[in-house]
Amino acid sequence: MIDFSHITKSYPNGDIVLDDVNFSVSPGEFVIITGKSGAGKTTLGRLLIRDLLPTKGKIVIDGEDLNQIKPKYIPIIRRKVGFVFQDYKIIPDKTIGENITIALEIGGYNRKKIQEKITELLKMVGIPGKEYLFPGQLSGGEVQRAAIARAIACEPAILFADEPTGNLDKDTSIEIFNLLKKINDDGTTVILATHDVTLIGLNPDRNIHLEKGKIVSDVDGLPAGKEGKPPSTPVIASLVPEPKQPARPAGGSHTTNRKIKSK
Amino acid sequence: MNTALKNIRRSPFQALSAVFIISLTLFVVGIFSLVTFASHIILLNFETKPQIIAYLKDDHTTDQVAGLISNMTTTQGVKNAIYISKQDALEIYKKSVGNDPVLLGTVTDWGIVTADILPASIEITASDPSAFNTIVSILEKSDIVSATPQGKKEIDFPQDVISELTKWTNAIRGAGLILIIALTVVCILTVMIIISMKISGRRTEISTLKLLGAQNIYIIKPYITESLIYGLSGAFFGWTFSYIALLYSTPFLAPRLGGVISFPIPFWVNLFLLIGLLAFGLILSLISSLFAAARFVKRSR
Repeated sequence: MIDFSHITKSYPNGDIVLDDVNFSVSPGEFVIITGKSGAGKTTLGRLLIRDLLPTKGKIVIDGEDLNQIKPKYIPIIRRKVGFVFQDYKIIPDKTIGENITIALEIGGYNRKKIQEKITELLKMVGIPGKEYLFPGQLSGGEVQRAAIARAIACEPAILFADEPTGNLDKDTSIEIFNLLKKINDDGTTVILATHDVTLIGLNPDRNIHLEKGKIVSDVDGLPAGKEGKPPSTPVIASLVPEPKQPARPAGGSHTTNRKIKSK
Repeated sequence: MNTALKNIRRSPFQALSAVFIISLTLFVVGIFSLVTFASHIILLNFETKPQIIAYLKDDHTTDQVAGLISNMTTTQGVKNAIYISKQDALEIYKKSVGNDPVLLGTVTDWGIVTADILPASIEITASDPSAFNTIVSILEKSDIVSATPQGKKEIDFPQDVISELTKWTNAIRGAGLILIIALTVVCILTVMIIISMKISGRRTEISTLKLLGAQNIYIIKPYITESLIYGLSGAFFGWTFSYIALLYSTPFLAPRLGGVISFPIPFWVNLFLLIGLLAFGLILSLISSLFAAARFVKRSR
């Protein structure tokens, strides 16, 4: 379904973001792409929706070479690939319902069908009845759910979620992950780009790890029955941030300072 | 439509300036259309009316009249020449005073108005105003054309009124056309800048729409709709202002042009004007928004 073949992406300043990346994703797969910030995860997603062109290599989706398609067909490709953005990209002055309506209108749904679809989507992502609220009236997790609802509104064959839990707490992150898993169970191919170690441990399918634009590992996920526990692999270790300062002893100067401030 | 209306509500002053400039342009277009229409009717009136009238002596004979008419019709630049008898002259007089018994009974220096006191005449319509001098010189030589006691032949002709009128109306039309073109260009540029600003102001939203797979037409449709709303409302206001101007100027114009143009101006003229201005407003706003959208499409490739 998706084939990245010898993909290299460099920018005019000489930065190589992706370096000879090769991988394929089959229909219905759930793939987690991991890597530190700047490893090239977002670039992969942008290449997938033809927001960027590779410097070298070929990307094929459903037999269509993205390098070769005419500009007028780019919107059609983008409708095939639902995209969940790290910063949500929910239009702030439109209600949640209106945001989803845009995606549905782009997908060619009629007015009557749109209302039914919005109700169904919001129920599916766990925020039923919130279509009349503005993004500013929702929590971060709820906005991300709305963004997912918008991304899957036109039932795309592929869903690319770029750091969907980047701004969320652990529990909400797990809820979002479970939602993506549910979407995957319904038949959508899901690619999740993340550096959230909590999520990596939840994926029973496939993990691709990127470092400095190169794929350093492409392995199946957790063995059956181990879901929910992060595997202690080099992949996880590389994503856990190193402490910048030595840990403070409990009840030490930190506590003392707080006491002084509170006076 | 909803997005377009929301865009208008969000920036009411930009919308107001767009509607104002379109209204102003179309008001001027409306006024000049009416002026052109009126000048056309005035010219038509002058052209179809006899332009040279030669009054005849009372003792003329039918043969003499026939000879003069024949002479006139064979002269180059003469469209037609007709004989108006004393009785015909009375009928024309009656028509011009509207059968008013007071005016018909007016006692003049020659007594009460009857056919006897009105002179017979020959009325000549020229197809070319430059033939006036030739026609007048033929009439002056004719024996049956009456003369004043000072010996001056009684010939009425507007000299070069028509050519002057044509010259003036053409000058007014030319000036109007230049003004309309200038205002149209300003109008297109203003609306284009306003729409471009609106598109620029929502660049982030537009980039999101593009990432969601929206076609350019989907993205620019609300802006084109917004521009069309400006065009239609501007046209309507422009028409309203020109209609009000026409109503206010009717008491001034009616006595001066009453014989040529019927006042009040018939409703169908105003209806045609409204339809014309709406069409012009639509075209104008469509061109403006398409220019703005084309710039956006070019930049967002």
